[in-house]
Amino acid sequence: MHGFRARLAATVVGLVVLTALLLGAGSYLFVSRSLRSQFVDDALAQAEFDIAELATEDRLPADADLAAFEASGLAGAIQRRGGTQLFVDFGDGEAPYSSGFAVASTLTRVDPRLREILAAGRLGWQWLDLDGEPCLVVAGRRPAAGPDFYIYFPAGDMTAALTRLWQSLLIGGGVLALLAALAAGLITRGVLRPVAAAGRAASAIAGGDLSARLPVESADEFGAWAESFNRMAASLESSIAGLQEGRDRERRFVADVSHELRTPLTALVAEASLLKEHLAAMPGEAGRLGELLAADTERLRALVEDLLEISRLDAGSDAGRPAEFDAAALAAAVIADRCPGAALVVPGPLPVGSDRRRLERILGNLLDNASRHGGGSQVTASLRRDGADLVVVVADRGPGVPAGDLERLFDRFYKADAARSGTGSGLGLAIARSHARAGGGDLVARSRPDGGLEFEARLPVTEPLPDGEALETDG
Amino acid sequence: MDALLLLVEDDLSVREVTQLGLQRAGFQVITARDGREGLALFRSRRPDAVVLDIMLPGLDGLEVCKAIRAESAVPVVMLTALSGTVDVVVGLEAGADDYVTKPFKMPELVARVRAALRRATQMTPSEVVNLGPLQIDLQAHAVAGPGGEIALTPTEFRLLVELARRPGQVFTREMLLERVWGYGYLGDSRLVDVAVQRLRAKAEPDPANPTLIRTVRGVGYRAGAG
Repeated sequence: MHGFRARLAATVVGLVVLTALLLGAGSYLFVSRSLRSQFVDDALAQAEFDIAELATEDRLPADADLAAFEASGLAGAIQRRGGTQLFVDFGDGEAPYSSGFAVASTLTRVDPRLREILAAGRLGWQWLDLDGEPCLVVAGRRPAAGPDFYIYFPAGDMTAALTRLWQSLLIGGGVLALLAALAAGLITRGVLRPVAAAGRAASAIAGGDLSARLPVESADEFGAWAESFNRMAASLESSIAGLQEGRDRERRFVADVSHELRTPLTALVAEASLLKEHLAAMPGEAGRLGELLAADTERLRALVEDLLEISRLDAGSDAGRPAEFDAAALAAAVIADRCPGAALVVPGPLPVGSDRRRLERILGNLLDNASRHGGGSQVTASLRRDGADLVVVVADRGPGVPAGDLERLFDRFYKADAARSGTGSGLGLAIARSHARAGGGDLVARSRPDGGLEFEARLPVTEPLPDGEALETDG
Repeated sequence: MDALLLLVEDDLSVREVTQLGLQRAGFQVITARDGREGLALFRSRRPDAVVLDIMLPGLDGLEVCKAIRAESAVPVVMLTALSGTVDVVVGLEAGADDYVTKPFKMPELVARVRAALRRATQMTPSEVVNLGPLQIDLQAHAVAGPGGEIALTPTEFRLLVELARRPGQVFTREMLLERVWGYGYLGDSRLVDVAVQRLRAKAEPDPANPTLIRTVRGVGYRAGAG
């Protein structure tokens, strides 16, 4: 975007400068040519008058010499009429008249063709430098007879004016180029602003802000384009919003249903736990039914708990609560609570800063899963640090699942073996993975090379403060 | 004499079975269906402990809890359907001593109520423990500060005594959970944090800069100056 703008501005400036250059050079050439030709015409006319009308036969006889010329006062008359310097050659080896010291020396630079024109009795002219000033030398003689006149007309004023002209043209050109650059910058920005705005809006939409729109400011192509863009963004936004709303409604429904189930379930669970005390006293069949009722109530309770937990995770309302604790001690406590037969492998105390409950839920659900589906094999939980992560691995030596089904283990209500209905809610692994991801980590399953399943959870944890550094804080 | 419990719960089945369960555990139980009735019963019968549902029609459990706290240090155990989120903390901050999440198993509730009552009625040797400007009379369950008597709930009192008896020793949240509330390692450490906050608000000269009960970052709490 920026490169395009710069290229566009440079092109505009280049065009303007080129135009100014051509115009300036053209007008300078035109003015200087016409000024010079006017100057030459005037000088020729004056010289002709000086020679023919002033230096007449009676004022300056054809055979006059230097003394006669000086006596005639013609030098002063000619010099008053613009010919500032004067050189008169009387021929025949007579001393010439020279109005200034420098004049005679300039004649050595006179073009031979001028003398031929002079000899032919016509007026000739040539540009010469006299004391560093450009001069027009007009040479002529009377048609009949007389000395050769070389009359110098200084053109200093004219060349100075021409110099000022090209200087002004140069300055004007520079100013024009600056103005052009400024204007080009403004114009290209104006032209490209809609493009830049569209770029920003598009990246905002790509970044998830579906409410980004373009201002429709003109009725030109950009305006039409902005309208199309906005229509596209609006339809995208409304369809995403629709999807999101449907999803939210579904999640809210699950959360609401689970919540509404709680109250009757609370009564059921409490009743079942009281009923248990009477089971022994019940006659055979009633006792067995009571047992089943208590067990099923417990299953229902676990299912509703898990549904509520996964709704909270879905809604993102399960904010972590970081604390500092010994992960190894926590793991030992969870194993004692959930799967007392499991072996715990830890390198020693594992002080970490993390969400205690998240880790407890992940490890607990993995242990539940291993003890339910591990076919009664030895379950091993191992914890270790790996850089900034706490790695929790729970492994069993059970039947495992086919490699293609590993990822499906994390599907909600997925049952690896359709014939065997599990005793769990079918949500444990999904919950464990949601917790791992909500905590910034992940949970994966893989088959062990020597049989069985292995789950590896990684949770980023922080370093707890070193022992002994007891910072005092409030809460 | 059997302890008298007040059970405030709006759902008929839950109320009846909970009452039954608590009675079987040896308590006398009076029940109320909503917050207003609960508060009236509390004032007329002065129960030894209150089991209080948080979601009640009309005056809700949090308000009832605050009203009870305003006039009594009686142990309060909340019944909450809202675990895992801030709602538990809100309940604890309203002054509850402990909570049980619905659906609960009867033995769990009974254990919580017994632990709360034990904190309130435990017989202790005649002893006075000092912590800074505080004089803690173990037998009388009374704490005297520079500004006179400080009213603490039994839980807050037990927490203060636990810390004040070994000034300087650092207690982890888990240790305090076990010693004061009777939980194992997997208890909810928010119970400790909220109780410490409430205790500081009552007993510290400047609760924002605690000097009597200090936080040991990453470990837990300890009592004592310096």
